[in-house]
Amino acid sequence: MNTDLLAIATEVLYREALYLDTQRWDEWTAQFTEDCEYWVPAWKGEHAPTEDPRREISLIYYAKRAGLEDRIWRARSNRSVASFVLPRTQHAVTNILLGDAASETCIKVHANFTTHQFSPKDKTVEIFFGRYEHTLVLHGATWLIARKKIILLNDYLPAKLDVYSL
Amino acid sequence: MTGRDLDQFVIDRVGDGEFNVHRDLFRDRTLFDLEMKHIFEGSWVFLGLASQAPNPHDYFTTWIGRQPVVIMRDATGVLGAFLNSCRHRGATVCPHEQGHAKYHVCPYHGWAYDSAGKNLDVRDRQHGQYSAAFDRDSHDLAAIAKFGNYRGFLFGCLNADAPPLPQHLGDTRFFLDLVVDQSPHGVELVPGSSTYTFNGNWKLQIENCVDVYHVLSAHSSFVKIVERRRSGESANQLEALDFAAYRSAAITRGSFTFDYGHAVIWAQNATPQIRPLFPMIDEIKQRVGAIKAEWMLYSRNLTLYPNVQIAENASLQMRVIRPLAVDKTEMRIYCLAPIGESDHTRTFRIRQYEDFFNVSGLATPDDTTCYEDCQTGYRAHSINWQQGYARGITAVQRGADDYAKTIGITPVTSQHGPHDIQDETIFHASYREWLRLMKAGAK
Repeated sequence: MNTDLLAIATEVLYREALYLDTQRWDEWTAQFTEDCEYWVPAWKGEHAPTEDPRREISLIYYAKRAGLEDRIWRARSNRSVASFVLPRTQHAVTNILLGDAASETCIKVHANFTTHQFSPKDKTVEIFFGRYEHTLVLHGATWLIARKKIILLNDYLPAKLDVYSL
Repeated sequence: MTGRDLDQFVIDRVGDGEFNVHRDLFRDRTLFDLEMKHIFEGSWVFLGLASQAPNPHDYFTTWIGRQPVVIMRDATGVLGAFLNSCRHRGATVCPHEQGHAKYHVCPYHGWAYDSAGKNLDVRDRQHGQYSAAFDRDSHDLAAIAKFGNYRGFLFGCLNADAPPLPQHLGDTRFFLDLVVDQSPHGVELVPGSSTYTFNGNWKLQIENCVDVYHVLSAHSSFVKIVERRRSGESANQLEALDFAAYRSAAITRGSFTFDYGHAVIWAQNATPQIRPLFPMIDEIKQRVGAIKAEWMLYSRNLTLYPNVQIAENASLQMRVIRPLAVDKTEMRIYCLAPIGESDHTRTFRIRQYEDFFNVSGLATPDDTTCYEDCQTGYRAHSINWQQGYARGITAVQRGADDYAKTIGITPVTSQHGPHDIQDETIFHASYREWLRLMKAGAK
């Protein structure tokens, strides 16, 4: 295993979690390429997430970073009641492995995630967990996220779900 | 609780300008238990689409009120609906949400049924020393009392005395036709549904689907996002429904209510070109006529009381409501689409659906959060009466208005006018049906 690339991938994923958990959303979206794919499949069977976002439903699907930016705008807009009292989130990212296509400028990464979140409004704790697949690309001196796929395993969903919980 | 007790929860004097609903309908556990018995288990409820079990021996499971149900297609292709409970000791015989099985063998003691619900085997019956009394009983799966199929929409009813399904649906069938007839091949479920819960009473969802008044307040972030996409402030190019455009003086919107609690709101479409249906509208016009084609492009939200809603304003969504407790409700949501639409259109439809309707989208979470805030507010037990059924009360008319006549339907009430009426008389039908079913059950 290429330990340098693994260290790079780990750094990007940990940093992403930090930005999400500290609501540094501008820095979070800046980690993505402008034409990134951000994809959270829905499920079509007990063990079958949807596979083709063009023909099947996703929980979230964007083929551009602008979709994420819409969400960040909304979360800050003071117009979305679902976003008035944001949860305190904590992402734990583990089991990081490099995928097949690792090269000097492109890394595929597999990881697990668990997000615990506390709602200061409802005084409740919710947990989301699943698998990440990232594709990282080297832009100049910076590694950016060109693709992020999130397989959310517990999809019996609460009354709201947004990118900061995933 | 007697009929007279129940009468005290709904004030229905529209002639005197009054209609009101007591907040105990949203917070009282005793009323909730009675609702499950007399409404969900006493009237027709939506079960699913025939296309969820397309082939012989396919099945899917769902609920009628609190009771587990399985819908199966038998060897000859005939659909049946049964309580999903082994006649022996009660275990569910179909554990999966959907599947394909010629035989259903109860995992507990091995009683076996075929896909028509017929008992094929009481395991080791010949050695069982059973009495004649046992042999006299049917051991087949219990068929639900009434089961009906309107153009692929399946309904079931545990009450044998309920009216026939065509009577129950009445002229709401026109609005189901507007969905089914979008393609000569009918509609299909787009793969990938999702399920969420909210901590609120199920009637909050019943109201919300036909509530015009909440749109510009609860969804103001969505309205603004659509505006930002138009202006280029957002680089997201997805075209979505522009609710603000419905305030145009050129736009008429209205509502109809029907017997048995059903209701629909409609609006002429300010931006028909952003509808996935739009590229097919010429073919549709030729096939179904100009009037129906025009109404297909209108924004329409339909509630078939008490548990299914079809919302078509940009994409096309079907929601199934399952009450879990007085203050907790489960929603299963699906994207519907005309069979055979182009790949490009299908993708566009899916993106619109995710954008607005998903609980991970940009609009639904604002609704569900409002429901939860309402449920918290109902804990103010010092307040008994809502003030939310009054808008439009001097504009609503009995029977068909000109728009109803144009499409050949006879609703119980009609109302139309400019957007800003934001009519609330649309909710009356569901509470009239609530009272009717609850009183019928109390007898």
